[in-house]
Amino acid sequence: MMIALLNKLSPPTLGQPMQFIFSFIRITALALALICFTNFIFAQESKRNLSDSYEKHIRPTLVKHCYSCHSQSVDKPKGDFRIDTLTTNFNDNTSKDAWPLVLKQIKSGEMPPKTKPKPSETELKLVSEWINSGIKIAKEKRTSEGRTVLRRLNRIEYENTMRDLLGVTVELKELLPPDSSSNGFDNIGEALHTSTFLMDKYLEGAEKGLNLAIANLPQPPLIKKRYSLKDMHPVKTSTEKVFRLQDDGEVICFSSSAWNAVGLTSFYPPDRGKYRFRISSSGFQSSSKPVTFRIDAGVMGMVGKSHLLGYFHASPDKPTVLEFVEELEARGTIRILPYGLSSAQTVNKIGADKYEGAGLAVQWVDVEGPLYESWPPESHRKIFNNLPTKAAPTYNFSKRVEVSSDNPEADAEKIIRDFARRAFRRKVSDQEIQPFLNLVKTKLNEKVSFEQAIRVGLMGILVSKDFLFLNEKPGKLDDFSLASRLSYFLWSTMPDDELLHLAEQNKLSDAKTLKDQVERMLKNPKASAFTENFVGQWLGLREIDSTIPSHILYPEFDEMLKSSMLKETYLFFEEVLKNNLSITNFVASDFSMLNNRLAKHYNIPNVEGWDFRKVNLPKDSHRGGLLTMASVCKVTANGTYTSPIIRGAWVLERILGTPPPRPPEGIAAVEPDIRGATTIREQLAKHRSVPSCATCHIKIDPPGFALESFDVIGGYREFYRTSGNGKPILIEGKRMPYLQGKPIDPSDVFDDKKFSNIDEFKKLLLLNKDQIARALTERLVTYATGATYNSLDQSEIELIVQKIQSKDYGLKTLIQEMVVSDLFRNK
Amino acid sequence: MHSLPNRRNFLKATGVSLALPWLEAFAENPAVGLPRRMVCICTPLSLHPANFFPKDTGRDYIATPYLETMQNLRNDFTVISGLAHPDVGSSHDSIYSFLTAAPHPERRAGFRNSISLDQFAASHIGGQTRFPSLALSCEGFSLSWTRSGAVVPSDSFPSSVFAKLFLEGRPDEVQGQVNRLRNGRSILDSIGEQAKTLQPNLGTADKGKLEEYFTSVRELEQALAVSEQWSKKPKPKVEVAPPVNIANSADVAGKARLMFDLIHLALQTDSSRLITLLLLGTSLVPPIAGVNLGHHDLSHHGQDPAKIAQLKTVETEKMKTFTDFLTKLKNSKEQDSNLLDRTSVFFSSNLGNASSHSTRNLPVILAGGGYKHGQHLAFDLINPPPLSNLYVSMLQRTGIKADKFGSSTGTLRGIDFAS
Repeated sequence: MMIALLNKLSPPTLGQPMQFIFSFIRITALALALICFTNFIFAQESKRNLSDSYEKHIRPTLVKHCYSCHSQSVDKPKGDFRIDTLTTNFNDNTSKDAWPLVLKQIKSGEMPPKTKPKPSETELKLVSEWINSGIKIAKEKRTSEGRTVLRRLNRIEYENTMRDLLGVTVELKELLPPDSSSNGFDNIGEALHTSTFLMDKYLEGAEKGLNLAIANLPQPPLIKKRYSLKDMHPVKTSTEKVFRLQDDGEVICFSSSAWNAVGLTSFYPPDRGKYRFRISSSGFQSSSKPVTFRIDAGVMGMVGKSHLLGYFHASPDKPTVLEFVEELEARGTIRILPYGLSSAQTVNKIGADKYEGAGLAVQWVDVEGPLYESWPPESHRKIFNNLPTKAAPTYNFSKRVEVSSDNPEADAEKIIRDFARRAFRRKVSDQEIQPFLNLVKTKLNEKVSFEQAIRVGLMGILVSKDFLFLNEKPGKLDDFSLASRLSYFLWSTMPDDELLHLAEQNKLSDAKTLKDQVERMLKNPKASAFTENFVGQWLGLREIDSTIPSHILYPEFDEMLKSSMLKETYLFFEEVLKNNLSITNFVASDFSMLNNRLAKHYNIPNVEGWDFRKVNLPKDSHRGGLLTMASVCKVTANGTYTSPIIRGAWVLERILGTPPPRPPEGIAAVEPDIRGATTIREQLAKHRSVPSCATCHIKIDPPGFALESFDVIGGYREFYRTSGNGKPILIEGKRMPYLQGKPIDPSDVFDDKKFSNIDEFKKLLLLNKDQIARALTERLVTYATGATYNSLDQSEIELIVQKIQSKDYGLKTLIQEMVVSDLFRNK
Repeated sequence: MHSLPNRRNFLKATGVSLALPWLEAFAENPAVGLPRRMVCICTPLSLHPANFFPKDTGRDYIATPYLETMQNLRNDFTVISGLAHPDVGSSHDSIYSFLTAAPHPERRAGFRNSISLDQFAASHIGGQTRFPSLALSCEGFSLSWTRSGAVVPSDSFPSSVFAKLFLEGRPDEVQGQVNRLRNGRSILDSIGEQAKTLQPNLGTADKGKLEEYFTSVRELEQALAVSEQWSKKPKPKVEVAPPVNIANSADVAGKARLMFDLIHLALQTDSSRLITLLLLGTSLVPPIAGVNLGHHDLSHHGQDPAKIAQLKTVETEKMKTFTDFLTKLKNSKEQDSNLLDRTSVFFSSNLGNASSHSTRNLPVILAGGGYKHGQHLAFDLINPPPLSNLYVSMLQRTGIKADKFGSSTGTLRGIDFAS
């Protein structure tokens, strides 16, 4: 019994600023503390009694023993922690985490410090009983109300849900304001708010979605055409001699300068939809090597938005065909640009006709679309089934039609009921659909057409709380709520038919079924939403564009490197997940997912081509694990310099789950100096010699120092680069725009153990695998349940960690165990 | 005393013609007086402090390089040093609290925003114009927040802001819009009804969320009713060409100029009296001669003199756009006053020093609005009054009876009304 309890309660929870001072408490101390678990005064506590007894018994004791360092009475409370501001409400955000930590401190004897008078046994008992009662009340309240606050779909979930509900791809995310985050995730119910502005946008989004889903016009005519790049605007109007035009329509592009990208400008589709592209290309004068090129798609120009489709290879000399299908908005197109060839200036000087360097030859581009399997499209039939249409011409569309009905009321009821059931992701009652039916009826009475009346009813459903919020009732989740929770966790969208079917039969809550569903769902392409949204936020990769590295210090940085580094991390996570590999791979691994660009960046030989593959890392690569990935190095630095403080705090918070306290107010941050005179270590040394700074920095800085071997774009380095004083550098005979600065020193002491470089540091991290697992589990629970992890969840988190210990900390096992845990299955 | 026709003639001369909605009300009830307005601007990567803050205080301060650009307007603004939001820690996240003063955005966990200055003001005087407030942005994010802590989406395309303010659709489009508003109202009305039949056993937090939802539904219904009224009135006509959006997403100065011009038009036509503008802070290289490094990167200059020099070039350009904006307002007569004197223009940053992400000693300019200007008002750097005190002063100047906002402890001493 005692042991079980211990395991449940072991390490301290970390997640609030004051936690740092409380960390590293031994489990044994806690064990002693737990022995005196007898409620003798506060047995039948109620909230009211809690504050009464606080004033009577507790505050006086705290005043006596704690206030001299931790209250308003001192200028700078020790450890930036004030006990006098904690409330007797254990559900209040700060207090619920702080009181349990106070309990640990006094029980373990860490506080009051040895230099101060010790509290008496009775005082200790009183305080600990009181805190325990508070925790108990908080837990009861949580059981009755649930830990997840009524959660609105965030804008990503909203867009995906509209896509799956309506069956059309529709860009709605940008329409909505960004969502607030809490604890690093933007799907936390508590932090998501609703406003009139948002409701207005939901009305707009509903209208936009329905307009795309419902077909009011005949099927758009099919475009099927072969294009030659020679007719494209950028080629025809270029004032630089960078394109060679052949008689058969082939165009050779020699320049990789961004403005020489060739948009398929003659292809200017009036209708949105899926288009099939086929591009015939080959490497030209490329010494038998493939030539790489990038393709962007979208509406080019001012108001439009284009995105990178990817990088591709043209085989040397022999034309090959690249085929893909892309969903385009009206007037969208694609754009082609060779990668890694010469600049426009170099080619222009010689002229494309005489130029002897490598080029990309594009013979032709075929386009076919918009592609529809049927008309009206599936999305239309999903709403109206096979109801007939009749002519409803307007001012500018003479062929416009609208859905009509001979039996409007009965048809309306069927349409609304079916749509509401799918939109609400559960069974619906007659009473629930009544308001929407009334809306339709009112409109019909106003002599509005059948389709227009239906649209108003559908819009009503799309802005109703049952669609916009994940409705969960306190206690154990019913099967439908569970289906939604699971689906928004792994797919960031509504459950599919299989999940809803299982829910309808009450089979989903079975543990084995749940685990099987996790297996199935992770294999679905929709699971990429989990990688992007969870990993993107866990590691902060969404911030990848917040700085662009200085091209003087980092001339090798380019778009291709940036997109490759993101892809490495996402693919790595998926590889670990798919194969149920140990989460310790996130700290150190003997493989990674690389393509040629990244392999070159990492100095790893024999990786050719743009495609990513699993690569076994050489022993001396200093790579493996997340910390040394270029993406992580980049998001933890700005474009100019690295800061061990930022990176150290990042490792503590995101990998170890022990975030440092925030910096004291009024203290200026260290401003790095890249003129080459001092290193950041020399600057930091100053404040590590001040005892009050050292207490925290002795923990924050070491991971950061280990990572100093990696520059702002994740290149391995032994010396800093500088723009001030230093030695000139030649690479392949070319003088670099930066100079070689002072040498890097990646050594330090972590948790009382010395390390000399990143490799040794990773080994030290792996000494506490449970802590790595715990930290990741806390993050997963937060993301999966849409509720911030807090100290009340500690025991259940420990159960999950225990379960995966014996299974080599497999990531998939972790997710499955989390999904069948009480945390996930209760509101 | 000038009369209305003078103003009309003047407006016509500057590109704005008749049909100014508030003027009618004004003509019927002269006691209303000219409107007072507020514009709040944030430059998110701060301004290099050494080039901004004067060393000396009072009326005889010597202009620093950035203030040098504004010397023609010396008596139309006050430069203020020392101010900061208490409890807003060092981080770019301080942008969340710039106009709200909500504590600890940098902690992220548990942060909850509160109402921003403009929305607070709009809840008092917003109903008087077609647009209660305008949230504009050169980069997409927004400075404005609702009472419940939800962000007010910003407009970042000048062409669509222009269309919203001034362009009238075809008759069928106008009718379509009226129908849309009507349908929207019926939908919201029917959804609002559901508030009456809520499950009784909800937890307090869930109840709070639902209340927020139903309040939004109800208030939007009311807002749409007002919009429906406005949609029947013609929009003010301006005789300037619609702006063309700038494609270069690094064009710090160009984008600012377009937005400043729109704000000027919006104020002049009394389309709105409360406007916020977030300027661009970009990681890209701004198209300015002599600049070849990204703006964000430059702000992390690491004391490199070459970078500080480029930063100065970018920020000077930015200051020029601001100065031109103020000049335009000043040159726009409004009866015997001018737009600048009737508009409190607050220009600052959420960061005091972008290089270290410090949120102390924010660079503040208060221009126009009818205050006693022309000085450098310096506060104790260690123990300054909260920035919210200035917000209270601005609210009062705008005619709103408020004695508290955010973390205020009063009004800002040293900021006095000229009349």
